[in-house]
Amino acid sequence: MASRRRMLLKVIILGDSGVGKTSLMNQYVNRKFSNQYKATIGADFLTKEVQFEDRLFTLQIWDTAGQERFQSLGVAFYRGADCCVLVYDVNVAKSFDNLNNWREEFLVQASPSDPENFPFVVLGNKVDVEGGNSRVVSEKKAKAWCASKGNIPYFETSAKEGINVEAAFQCIAQNALKTEPEEEIYFPDTIDVAGSGRHQRSSGCEC
Amino acid sequence: MQEADLHDLSDDPDYAASQQQALGRSLYRSDSAKSTEMDSGGGGGSETVYVKDNVAIHPTQYASERISGRLLLVKRDSSLFMTWIPYKLSVGGTDSTGRSSNAGILEKDRKLYTIKDVPLADVHSIRRHTPTLGWQYIIVVLSSGLAFPPLYFYNGGVREFLATLKQHVFIVRSADDANVFLANDFQDPLQKSLSSLELPRVVSVANGATLHGSVGALSSVENSERRNGDMQIATSSSEYSGRNKHKLHDPARDISIQVLEKFSLVTKFARETTSHLFRENHNNDSSIHERKQLDHKPSSASTDTQKISSAPVAPDPLEFDKLPLIWGKQRQQPLDVKEWVCFLDAEGRITDSKALRKRIFYGGVEHSIRKEVWKFLLGYHPYDSTYAEREYLASVKKSEYEIIKSQWQSISPAQARRFTKFRERKGLIEKDVVRTDRSISFYDGDDNPNVAVLHDILLTYSFYNFDLGYCQGMSDLLSPIFYVMEDESESFWCFVELMERLGPNFNRDQSGMHSQLFALLKLVELLDTPLHNYFSKTECLNYFFCFRWLLIQFKREFEYEEVMRLWEVLWTHYLSEHLHLYICVAILKRYRQKIMGEEMDFDTLLKFINELSGRIRLGDILRDAEALCVCAGENGDACIPPGTPPSLPLETASLYPQQDQDDI
Repeated sequence: MASRRRMLLKVIILGDSGVGKTSLMNQYVNRKFSNQYKATIGADFLTKEVQFEDRLFTLQIWDTAGQERFQSLGVAFYRGADCCVLVYDVNVAKSFDNLNNWREEFLVQASPSDPENFPFVVLGNKVDVEGGNSRVVSEKKAKAWCASKGNIPYFETSAKEGINVEAAFQCIAQNALKTEPEEEIYFPDTIDVAGSGRHQRSSGCEC
Repeated sequence: MQEADLHDLSDDPDYAASQQQALGRSLYRSDSAKSTEMDSGGGGGSETVYVKDNVAIHPTQYASERISGRLLLVKRDSSLFMTWIPYKLSVGGTDSTGRSSNAGILEKDRKLYTIKDVPLADVHSIRRHTPTLGWQYIIVVLSSGLAFPPLYFYNGGVREFLATLKQHVFIVRSADDANVFLANDFQDPLQKSLSSLELPRVVSVANGATLHGSVGALSSVENSERRNGDMQIATSSSEYSGRNKHKLHDPARDISIQVLEKFSLVTKFARETTSHLFRENHNNDSSIHERKQLDHKPSSASTDTQKISSAPVAPDPLEFDKLPLIWGKQRQQPLDVKEWVCFLDAEGRITDSKALRKRIFYGGVEHSIRKEVWKFLLGYHPYDSTYAEREYLASVKKSEYEIIKSQWQSISPAQARRFTKFRERKGLIEKDVVRTDRSISFYDGDDNPNVAVLHDILLTYSFYNFDLGYCQGMSDLLSPIFYVMEDESESFWCFVELMERLGPNFNRDQSGMHSQLFALLKLVELLDTPLHNYFSKTECLNYFFCFRWLLIQFKREFEYEEVMRLWEVLWTHYLSEHLHLYICVAILKRYRQKIMGEEMDFDTLLKFINELSGRIRLGDILRDAEALCVCAGENGDACIPPGTPPSLPLETASLYPQQDQDDI
């Protein structure tokens, strides 16, 4: 119990309703896509074991309801997050415009100890739709926004086709590891291993 | 005083007879023919080890209205079971009042109290009362914390009962109270240590309840106000303490009060006993401090686990699942057409809506008549309307619907471009209807016209109630309604009625959800204090793990047909408008051993609850919820803030407070 907990990395996926948060999570964890997902009510999470160097971690990926009206619940779910994934639909401009709201709302509700450096990752999802012909947010625009927010790593993904999902979550996991020093206060026996792993990895994730 | 009331049987014609019987008969270890007949649970190797006649339950405070029956202890497969079966009216002659018109109701009430094959392994303790005046009685408290109503031994024999028990199960006399006998004392060390986690304030509530047990002569109004006082102490917040003053004069409420009053005495007794037991554990258990310290040291977690598992008989969570229900009635067959038409008079009015709602509460409705019945349950059709009036209403409402629908239909693409809120709302609805119940054949396949109707109704509703708009979860609530109604306008108006009650679930400030989550917290505190304390310790008191249950009324937790069954039961508001909260408590209680035994934290608990979806047995949970609702009585009512959904909102002005948010 204690050792499992020590390795837990908590990741929160946020973004407008219908951008594909549940699908991304399921594609990454179960390598499955379904057209039949229901709108998420409340929150749920999936876990996946990931390995870095010779250490095993449990990635706990939280999927939440996308409608703004439910944001006040976040306070219970965002607590203790190690990384926040912001998802938008490249075919829906509004979902991109809202990224800023989601980011700020997260920082308010999760109140991480170092908000300036809290790791986010942005995913532009549904790049497969109509062969990319219906997209309204360009990669350039998205990358510019990410750069302006402290070089947030950015990926273009398709949960349906499984494009870039694995790579995105690799990066997410590595970024989640960056916040681990806080945890080490409680689990001093892990300092050495985590420390070396973290510094090497964080430089490898300038995506 | 209570005792005097209870045993004043001077007006009871049965009194003399039972006294005579008491003198003449001694029935335990009686003939085997009788015992086989009684053992409906049946099977081969069962042996009746104790039989006692004229053991009665007092459903009200008047002993004259007692229900007499036979108490049995049956041994089967080396386990002991307790059964109490009320006599049939003709046999027991308990309808001493001679009110033949009430006979039917009485007969049903009697069955309500039946105790069927309760394993003694589930019994936590037995409290004996041997007053100098009146009859001896016992109260059996189960390990779940629920208690059976007091069993009065009109023929005496409590001592023999206990002696027989002692031969077959492990029973110890409580060191604290010579009249309390603890059964299975060794069996549940975890439970025991959790009970002794009692915080001082909880103990004070228990003490308060004990006090009330001795002031039974007070009028019920005084009593309920005093109980509110208790709640106030317990919550240390006076916000909701004035609740009783807000009680609505709703006929549905009145009938439920009648039923609940019958049980208030029982509840009082049960609580009194329970409070004694809490103190019992408090005194005996010292290991809790060790446990608390261990919790902070993850490295010693394994020793902690060992400690629990090395207990003599580890409690099996599955065993708890099989716990028979105490007062929850056997579920009935759904109401069918034949029975339904009996509720209608010649012109189509429902003359006895209470009886109808009661009938549906216990069995639901056959699918073929849901279309008709749901309109009454939801309040779209008044119970006293005639066929002709309903036909007229349908046509008026149809055109009214078309007018509202045309409001958004007439928005041109050019206008829509300049109407962000409309586009966003429409977009959100479009996204949600295509992921609502698509596995049901009624909604499956590409370009299913029924999905389009869901869209139209929801968008029309967002114009009808522009302040509330559209919110995720609404499509879940509408889907079964349209599935049943198969008519766009009728579905819309039924949905409107449902949203009158559930609308606050979707408020921007989440006020409706928060009041339900708060009520749930208070109910668990009342009905399962150890579980409450566990949630408190693990910082789970926000109850967000029940959010989905409450937001869409368990829509995602059951199969489609079961959802419809559950909803029609909830919509009767028969025992309580808030039965759904008792359903939450019932489910949590079913899994309490697992939750506490596995020491689930918030995350694990949320995952566990989410994964219960599709695995909850509706019939069992409804019976549990009914029992808990009855058991909680007025104390339960006092846990629920006024206006908590699905109660109708307290005031009609500003139903959906607006905030300057971009939310659609």
